[in-house]
Amino acid sequence: MIQALRDLLLFFERDLRIARTYRGPFVLELVEALFGAALFYYVARFVDSPELRQALPYGTSYFAYSLVGFVFFDYLNAALDTFDRSIIEARDAGTLEPLLTTQVSLTTILIGSAIYPFVVTTLRIAVYLAWGAFLFGFPLGAANWPTVLVVLLASLLAFSGLGILSSAYLLLFKRGNPAKWLILGVSSVAGGMLFPVSILPDWLQVIAYLNPITYALDAMRAALLDHAAVPSLARPILILMLFAAILLPVSLLAFNWTLRRTKVTGTLTHR
Amino acid sequence: MFSSFRHVISFGVPASAIKVDSLAKSFPPVYGGWRAFLQPFAASTCPALRAISFEVGEGESVALLGTNGAGKTTLLRILATLLIPTSGSALLAGCDPVRDAAAVRRHLGYHAGTDLGFYARLTGRENLRFFGRLNYLSDSILEARIPELAERFELGGFLDRQVRTLSSGTLQRLSLLRALLHQPKVLLLDEPTRSLDAIAASEFRRFLKTEVHLHRGTSILFASHLLPEIEFLADRVVVLKEGSLVAFDTPSGLKRRTGSSSLEEAFARLTRHAVHSSEEPRPV
Repeated sequence: MIQALRDLLLFFERDLRIARTYRGPFVLELVEALFGAALFYYVARFVDSPELRQALPYGTSYFAYSLVGFVFFDYLNAALDTFDRSIIEARDAGTLEPLLTTQVSLTTILIGSAIYPFVVTTLRIAVYLAWGAFLFGFPLGAANWPTVLVVLLASLLAFSGLGILSSAYLLLFKRGNPAKWLILGVSSVAGGMLFPVSILPDWLQVIAYLNPITYALDAMRAALLDHAAVPSLARPILILMLFAAILLPVSLLAFNWTLRRTKVTGTLTHR
Repeated sequence: MFSSFRHVISFGVPASAIKVDSLAKSFPPVYGGWRAFLQPFAASTCPALRAISFEVGEGESVALLGTNGAGKTTLLRILATLLIPTSGSALLAGCDPVRDAAAVRRHLGYHAGTDLGFYARLTGRENLRFFGRLNYLSDSILEARIPELAERFELGGFLDRQVRTLSSGTLQRLSLLRALLHQPKVLLLDEPTRSLDAIAASEFRRFLKTEVHLHRGTSILFASHLLPEIEFLADRVVVLKEGSLVAFDTPSGLKRRTGSSSLEEAFARLTRHAVHSSEEPRPV
């Protein structure tokens, strides 16, 4: 267990060292987050009305509702992108083969390469919320931070399964990733990012509740905007864990099968 | 001279560092257009290796010699656990690269012959430390071994520079250093001196022969097109032609069996007139 953690941290350290050589993008992301928060604030000011506030949960403003939806949608995006990108970068830089001839397992390589991007996404979300609170009155005081952490962890595990499946597709077919686009497309419409799922037609609501992002956003809004404790969010958290329990082993099996297939066809390093 | 006999002395029976038994590998044909979507599921019908068998003894150095497309790299990649053979079997340090890839990787140092494979924004030292730690080398071992090997490869002045600023030859040396860092039992090298200048190549060969091969007793299987390099480094030579093993003998044995005065001449004769049994030389 300690060895596995140590191995995972090696990848985090590697990515941190690489990131330190690019300082400009970090500053630019801080500025981008400011403009992002401002965008949601002014859209909310434009559409806000007493009727809209009544339709939203916890009597929150549309600004707080949409900002939480947008920034946590970033987690799904990061999960779907991170594993793909780590494979593409390793393949293009030629580091995939040297990594695969070391003694760490493929699972460690895959998960280890995802830690840094997830940490960066978390920091980016924190910056968004900080700008929102500092300049536009986002109610950070209403947050239950331990619950936020639990929901974050459960969401991360559930989304990672989708991300690993996506990278298995990439490894096999090399280009494009319709599965990723489909998940992101459906999630952006039916995941409750900018409006409640309840306004969707019935058939789309069924799709929404087959998607972990819906539960993640519900639980995260409750934790951040309504000070909800973990027991009151047991249902969405358990459902997220169930998604993780199914998706993670299935995705790792799929990835291992794909890797084996590329070793049979000799296409591991093909683009 | 002694190294080629070292493996027979202990028990009378040669111990194998590498054992390749009827190993065959085919690849699927390359599809274009819409059929490219079916590529991952296509049957493997293009042979790259045709049921080859040979053994590399412990502490032995064996060269793979063949024209382009003869199957040298395919063979090395199977042994390095990066490809799965179509049929037959292989053992590296007694472990199966397909069924027990993790165990094989413990004993394996692999250099793919390219200057790729490093993180461009990290320094040489950071790259080596990262890969060394993935091979479970402690920090104290890495602290001692990296400068020592860097000195050997004349890389001392380059270790703390970002890899993206290094020349192709320097990267090649860095890659060789990485393959040796965990002191593997078996070293697989694919054209190890391809990008090195004449002096660096000569130094590297000497280091490989004296330190790695003779002193540490590391078994080496390397592919090369450089016949003087093969004569200098190899105890025996596997000659491949279009995926088939046409001869397996010492350099002098190859010359003798083909009635040639040089290895180049022997190679030309062997690949023009395939000798089908490695044990029974046929007049050429």
